[in-house]
Amino acid sequence: MAEEERALLGPGGGGGPGGGGDPGGSVSPPGGPRGLAAACDPRRLPHRLLVLALMCFLGFGSYFCYDNPAALQTQVQADMKVNTARFMALYAWYSWPNVVLCFFGGFLIDRVFGIRLGTIIFSIFVCVGQVIFALGALFNAFWLMEAGRFVFGIGGESLAVAQNTYAVSWFKGKELNLVFGLQLSMARIGSTVNMNIMGWIYSRVQDLLGRTGHSTLGLTLMIGGITCLFSLACALILAYLDKRAEKLLCKEQGKTGEVIKLTDVKDFSLSLWLIFVICVCYYAAVFPFIGLGKVFFIEKFKFSSQEASAINSIVYIISAPMSPVFGLLVDKVGKNIIWVLCAVITTLASHIMLAFTFWNPWVAMCLLGVAYSLLACALWPMVAFVVPEHQLGTAYGFMQSIQNLGLAIIAIAAGMILDTRGYLFLEVFFSACICLSLIAVVMLYFVNHLTGGDLNWSAKKREKLQKVAATEAEEQERLRRQNEDDLAKLRPKADDFSLRNRYLSKLGAQLPDNYSSYLSTMAHRSMLK
Amino acid sequence: MLLLAALLAAAGGGGRREVSMQYNPGWNNSSVNLLHVRAVGQNDTLHYVWSSIGAPAALLVATGSQSSTLHVNWTRLLSPAPAGAIWIEPPGSVVYSTAVVFTKVFEYSKADTPEELFYPAYDLSSFSWDSINRTLNHTALTAEFLGVPASDPSGSFSNGSLAFRVTAYEANGRDGPLPSLLHTANSSKVEFVLAGVAPRGNGSRFALEVATVEEPGVARRLRSARSIDDEYTPTIFETLSLAAEARNASAALSFLQWKATAYGSRSPKREDGIRCRAHGLQAANWTLPASGVIRAYFGEGLGSAYAVSAINISFGGEDGEVYQEKRYLSWSALLGFGQPPEDTFSPLVISIMAVALGTPMALLLVGSVVVLFAQRKCYSEYEPIN
Repeated sequence: MAEEERALLGPGGGGGPGGGGDPGGSVSPPGGPRGLAAACDPRRLPHRLLVLALMCFLGFGSYFCYDNPAALQTQVQADMKVNTARFMALYAWYSWPNVVLCFFGGFLIDRVFGIRLGTIIFSIFVCVGQVIFALGALFNAFWLMEAGRFVFGIGGESLAVAQNTYAVSWFKGKELNLVFGLQLSMARIGSTVNMNIMGWIYSRVQDLLGRTGHSTLGLTLMIGGITCLFSLACALILAYLDKRAEKLLCKEQGKTGEVIKLTDVKDFSLSLWLIFVICVCYYAAVFPFIGLGKVFFIEKFKFSSQEASAINSIVYIISAPMSPVFGLLVDKVGKNIIWVLCAVITTLASHIMLAFTFWNPWVAMCLLGVAYSLLACALWPMVAFVVPEHQLGTAYGFMQSIQNLGLAIIAIAAGMILDTRGYLFLEVFFSACICLSLIAVVMLYFVNHLTGGDLNWSAKKREKLQKVAATEAEEQERLRRQNEDDLAKLRPKADDFSLRNRYLSKLGAQLPDNYSSYLSTMAHRSMLK
Repeated sequence: MLLLAALLAAAGGGGRREVSMQYNPGWNNSSVNLLHVRAVGQNDTLHYVWSSIGAPAALLVATGSQSSTLHVNWTRLLSPAPAGAIWIEPPGSVVYSTAVVFTKVFEYSKADTPEELFYPAYDLSSFSWDSINRTLNHTALTAEFLGVPASDPSGSFSNGSLAFRVTAYEANGRDGPLPSLLHTANSSKVEFVLAGVAPRGNGSRFALEVATVEEPGVARRLRSARSIDDEYTPTIFETLSLAAEARNASAALSFLQWKATAYGSRSPKREDGIRCRAHGLQAANWTLPASGVIRAYFGEGLGSAYAVSAINISFGGEDGEVYQEKRYLSWSALLGFGQPPEDTFSPLVISIMAVALGTPMALLLVGSVVVLFAQRKCYSEYEPIN
């Protein structure tokens, strides 16, 4: 079955198994055009840099607008007259569609729309969602705002998948790490800029209109929506350039190469389920907290509005430079579970600090930022170690789905807890979530230890074992090839299924095992937000 | 003074008081309001005298006897010179007395002007008060003083009123509705309510002037305590109290305690919160509170022997427009004897933290044991051949 899937995917599957083997790749196409200016030639660096910039800005709008509610919490609650639970529903409504959609994002891009049209459609969803969101504020209809967030959510998460697919299709090979890193940093910059600028825009609009109120809020959100239009423009240009490159270089349309089979869920190991628990509980204690953070710092620590925005965005700011550093560190050292354990304990300490002390919250938030970056780098690659490659798409899709489910539920619960029990209890609740995550990490450690899993191996050991496995596979492959050759001799008319299979397996055996799974991890990094 | 502490400590141990309310004792007329709350403990009695004769006020007297009684000479009390019209029998049983007077309500506006614009203040001593007889509830131990200005040229009070709701407590406990103040048997609650009063400008904010009267050698001090525990009053971390302290000791003799919030709704929720601040406690011996009971009890010494100090408590933050929309403001404060009560972590919070932190530790322990055991078993499989 796995073999068949590989065959169906075709060699264009960038993020999927057998990725990296694009025969019509960007290197020396036959009959490429001559005499194009550097900026117009898809093979030349300046042009690729242009594409890279467009890719980065493609997600800017959705990341900018995702945290609009957090940046304007006081204003939203005052102007729309909603309590915190209903306010947090704005985040929940973003997550609901993604509980289902993350299974289909890859499918839609690969089979239905194609990467170009898909990206444009998802960008339009993001734009329309943000406009509906703003209109809801203008018309003083909170339900319309919620509807806007729902539409925004439909586009937002899938757009991130599309963004990664573009990256894989253009920058396969050495540059890919850097490109993913840049995209991730851009996402952080989008969130940070939003946190720090929306309040200022609101006060400008307030000066303009001479009053606060739902129309001021609506206009502010409309202005925020300009970033989405900008991203849509990027999507359109990118589609044009991609099409052009396809014509000039005979390059295939990028594909996510994701295969989702829900029946695989029953085969998931205990370790994988524990990883799911860690993921859901951990992120549930980070994102809803940031969503409520600004007002928390104002009310508990008496911060000014600007200062609160700044400290609330510090987690994103820290993770921008730290993610690559930790990524490298975890890659070199291995021992993923220990890193995850450190990250979870640090996060727990920072939440406890915020809950039970009046210590300067910059300390706690910086710790949270560091822990959050570390966790992202150590946790996500672990999935690839406990799941067979052909189930990876399902595993990540499932993980993203329950993460969204968890986020939606916890967001609403957090709002309700804040309204009725206050910040201390909210922080205790978040700490309890982190503790649940800690329990799962400890269990994972022991389960892994007892079953002799490879999650906590050091990188050196992993490499050594991989080498052994690779030589073994090569040997097997050699035998099989010989066998097949013999068979082929017997049956000269080989169908293209077996041809493709041979081609693929040839490629597959030469690639290091973790190569394609690493790509898959990165293609799903939209979850790392 | 030490005696008071000893008395209250004894009462605090028992925790319960026999509370009775009496309306206008010895006077069969409901044109004026005087409410006597008598809280009898194991070996002491606390007297609270609430009255709207003149400005609304509460007189608090602690006595060291279970049988001390309040006496009122009504003709003198209602005369222009009421000194000596209220006294406790036997006089020697009085341990400590203090008073809190609500003198004025200010209305001011910050809108569009650099400095605050003050409207003419409402002088609470010139209000006309409804009879509290109808609102008196002897089982819930509550009563409400409802008033409107005797003359209301601006018509602000045509649809509104100002009220002080009084609640007496028999035992330790906590209020249900926000701000859910923790109370002891040595305290009572007063709730200041402004309902339906039309603001005289855009962005009007209100402030309440509170005056206190202290015995010689005792002074009021504004204490501001920030606590991490906002479980009972969500998102409010600051508790303010106006504590009466003897010059040579820091233990409070009596207190007026409140959370730094008011609420803009009849059924208060977190989002109805109105920021509440206290401004500059200062001696105010030059303006004697125009309250009948206070003058009657403290007599001529008021302002000289008995020090008067005043504080303004303002409602509404920088952009507080909550009142404009809801036309409702309620502020609760606790007044009582001894140390003001302090919130502690609820059992729920403690147990959640204990379970949350304890389980991973326990798991780590159990896991280690299991792993060790498994390893030993592993080794034991290799039996020596010979």
